[in-house]
Amino acid sequence: MGPAVYILSALTTLLCAVLLLLGYARARKRLLLWSGLCFAGLTVSNLLVFVDLIELPAMDLYLWRLGTAVIAMALLLYGLIWEGR
Amino acid sequence: MHQGSATPEEIYRFIFGEIDTVPHLEALLLLWNSRPKKWSEEELSQRLFITASAVAEVMQDLVRRNLIAAETSSRQYWYEFRSEEKERLIEGTARAYQSELIRISTLIHSKASSAVREFARAFKITKQKE
Amino acid sequence: MLKIEMFLLGVLAAASITAGVFFLRFWKDTRDLFFLAFAASFIIEGFNRVGLLLSERPNEGSPWIYLVRLLASLLILAAIVHKNYGRNA
Repeated sequence: MGPAVYILSALTTLLCAVLLLLGYARARKRLLLWSGLCFAGLTVSNLLVFVDLIELPAMDLYLWRLGTAVIAMALLLYGLIWEGR
Repeated sequence: MHQGSATPEEIYRFIFGEIDTVPHLEALLLLWNSRPKKWSEEELSQRLFITASAVAEVMQDLVRRNLIAAETSSRQYWYEFRSEEKERLIEGTARAYQSELIRISTLIHSKASSAVREFARAFKITKQKE
Repeated sequence: MLKIEMFLLGVLAAASITAGVFFLRFWKDTRDLFFLAFAASFIIEGFNRVGLLLSERPNEGSPWIYLVRLLASLLILAAIVHKNYGRNA
């Protein structure tokens, strides 16, 4: 049950990323680009959590999981702060 | 098709739906009033009191909404006839803006930023118009 | 938990809650419940990260943590469905 949640989470963030980046291609608003990239990064992070939970690789993914999520959120905050004009 | 000049409600809907900021409106009306004069970004920047990069973004938004014409190589913009409907609406908006500048500015400022609206719109994948 | 891991969790918690507050503002500006759902999703995920900070590492497999993540995902999915098929779609 636990790992499956992170697959659902990854699919959700992937959907958001795709819709936002398509929206950016259409309307060219920077907020959509940065938030789309954020959700793409969160998708990677979610997938890494899943992989880590089912204990596939030998190495410890914890910092990678956190690091990708931090970078993703930084992109989102950058977009949110600069969107209002 | 509609006859006569645009009604206040049509003008309201046009501004609410198509005009993102006051510079957008003033740029559109400037080009409309001076049609078919072609404007460069520097001329627009001086006339509208906004920076050159802001001008570029505003004009590209207007082009994308099919309100004005542009030549990308020389970065020139001008008003070009698109449809009877648009002529009516812009003509009505120009008149309204002359007499009700404050109300229209307030209307434009009351909209959430277009980036935010586009964010929500990006998630609308079914057919009905938002 | 290593110091760097705790630090990153703290950053994530703060960033998620901040993003949630931005979405609250968008909800206030647009009156679109869509943004409220995103706000709720990010804010509860922010608090979820705080929860992780207070427990052993790494345990995203623990039920409390992943149920909150499930809720956060469902909120976003519900918002998207509502935007397309809901009353005001």
